[in-house]
Amino acid sequence: MNETSAQRDKKLPPKVSGAKADMGHMEEFSANFGRFMMRANAECGELAEFNMAGQETVLMSGPEAQEAFLKTLDNKLSRAASYQATVPVFGKGVIFDAPPERMKAQLKIQVNALRYQNMKNYTAVINQEVEDWVADWGDEGELDFLDEFIQLTLHTATHCLLGADFRNQLTDEFKSLYHDLEAGLQAIAFVDPYMQQPVFEARDKALIRLQELISEIITERRKNSDKEYGDALETFMAGSYSDGSLLSDNEITGLVIATMFAGHHTSSGTATWILTELARHPNYSDEIVTELQTVFKDDGTITLESLREMPKLEAFIEEVLRLHPPLVLLMRKVMEDIDFKGTLIETGKTVAISTYGSHRNPDYFPDPETFNPARDKPDNLYAFIPFGGGPHKCAGNAFALMQLKAIISVLLPRYTFELVDPPETYQDDMSAMVLKPTGPCRLRYKKRQ
Amino acid sequence: MKIKVDIDLCQGHSVCLAEAPEVFDVVEVDDGYPLVKVLQGNPPEALRAKVERAAKYCPNRVITIIED
Ligand code: HEM
Repeated sequence: MNETSAQRDKKLPPKVSGAKADMGHMEEFSANFGRFMMRANAECGELAEFNMAGQETVLMSGPEAQEAFLKTLDNKLSRAASYQATVPVFGKGVIFDAPPERMKAQLKIQVNALRYQNMKNYTAVINQEVEDWVADWGDEGELDFLDEFIQLTLHTATHCLLGADFRNQLTDEFKSLYHDLEAGLQAIAFVDPYMQQPVFEARDKALIRLQELISEIITERRKNSDKEYGDALETFMAGSYSDGSLLSDNEITGLVIATMFAGHHTSSGTATWILTELARHPNYSDEIVTELQTVFKDDGTITLESLREMPKLEAFIEEVLRLHPPLVLLMRKVMEDIDFKGTLIETGKTVAISTYGSHRNPDYFPDPETFNPARDKPDNLYAFIPFGGGPHKCAGNAFALMQLKAIISVLLPRYTFELVDPPETYQDDMSAMVLKPTGPCRLRYKKRQ
Repeated sequence: MKIKVDIDLCQGHSVCLAEAPEVFDVVEVDDGYPLVKVLQGNPPEALRAKVERAAKYCPNRVITIIED
């Protein structure tokens, strides 16, 4: 073997046991990657190398290693190289397929749509969507809330991104296109997103049709340029590169899809878990109702401002995100050799951090499996990382929290919730790319007296 | 009081600008996210409530207030 001097001098990360020929740890990893990461960390410590069907991957654990991961910029630890599966879903030239300068410009335009000014409109939109949803609930009933929240957050996402007209005419065609795009992002897409597979063919057709649909709206809007919409599409259409040129229609469509994907299932899964944990913990539920009654005692309207002061509900949501972080695993590709405390992580390897494992570290979260919203939050910013951290922290974190608080502010003061099925059947689905409860997630609701 | 910002965490969400425009601006930069610009590093006591809101409601916890 032809060793470089760096390799001779430095130690390499220890390897996790149990690798199989060819597939490495893929099987154990896919079955339950949260648990696999915890085993890797317990066995090897801060750095643990495993093998995903040939790809050498180093898990970095603990706040110090997680901080190093999150603060290292794209030129050294590349998200683009790890997230190539998104390219045929968002379209050519969009985000992880764009050259670095254009990618930065696109991310900036994406965040522009999430700035304070737009957030006020989104709060009103979400409030209205939740009211419309509960309007026909009656005094009591039973629903599969996983399914309900997937629908609700699809409505809020399309409404905030593409405007009221689009949302109100939300067609079955759109839903099926969106479904085909989602199916294109399953685990095998991370191995090779261009394999000859029916799901990938459907994905490619869906993208082309969606580009047509959104292009039509863009053309229509450019004709009526004095109208104001207050949605994300308006911001995307106004955004420009440093040379002043606008985004192409397909790039705009790509940003719409990327934002939907970032925000949709992360939000629906979390909302489902919040309601389920509220049903499991009536005492906390009562405290939160009292808090909400105080916040809304003078004026019942839900606004961005009124949602900001809810410490009890916030602590509850954070505890849900601790135990059920939707993005279990964050990944980057090593573009330049990395030295972490004297250990060499070589170019070409993948590095990963596990939110799921970090949130179950007893040094920071004593008795980690216990749901306890009153627990002390660690001072270290890199121990609790449901939204990642550093320069690429979730740009939608304020949106996500606003939406979750708005939903609960409508539901909880009006209804009580109870589990329908035995408590142990409400579990995390550990094979899904975005963590969610194993469906169905049935709860019974009853109007409060 | 003194204002400290961790500029690496800023994504230009502009909550600070909405809360305390006397103290914070958000400016375009050549590449990447717009960034907070501190207009007054030692704001007067009269602006305390506004600055505290800016720090508290910043989605990325970019702003810290240091007491003199
Ligand atoms: C509970 C809900 C959510 C969770 C737990 C979550 C989590 C995350 C995490 C962990 C990252 C960092 C990924 C990495 O470093 O590799 C991220 C990035 C991102 N998220 Fe979220 N997210 C949520 C909701 C949303 C929503 C609602 C939106 C949009 C409205 C959104 C938009 C984004 C964007 C644009 C990025 C990329 C930021 C960048 O590259 O600079 N997220 N999210």
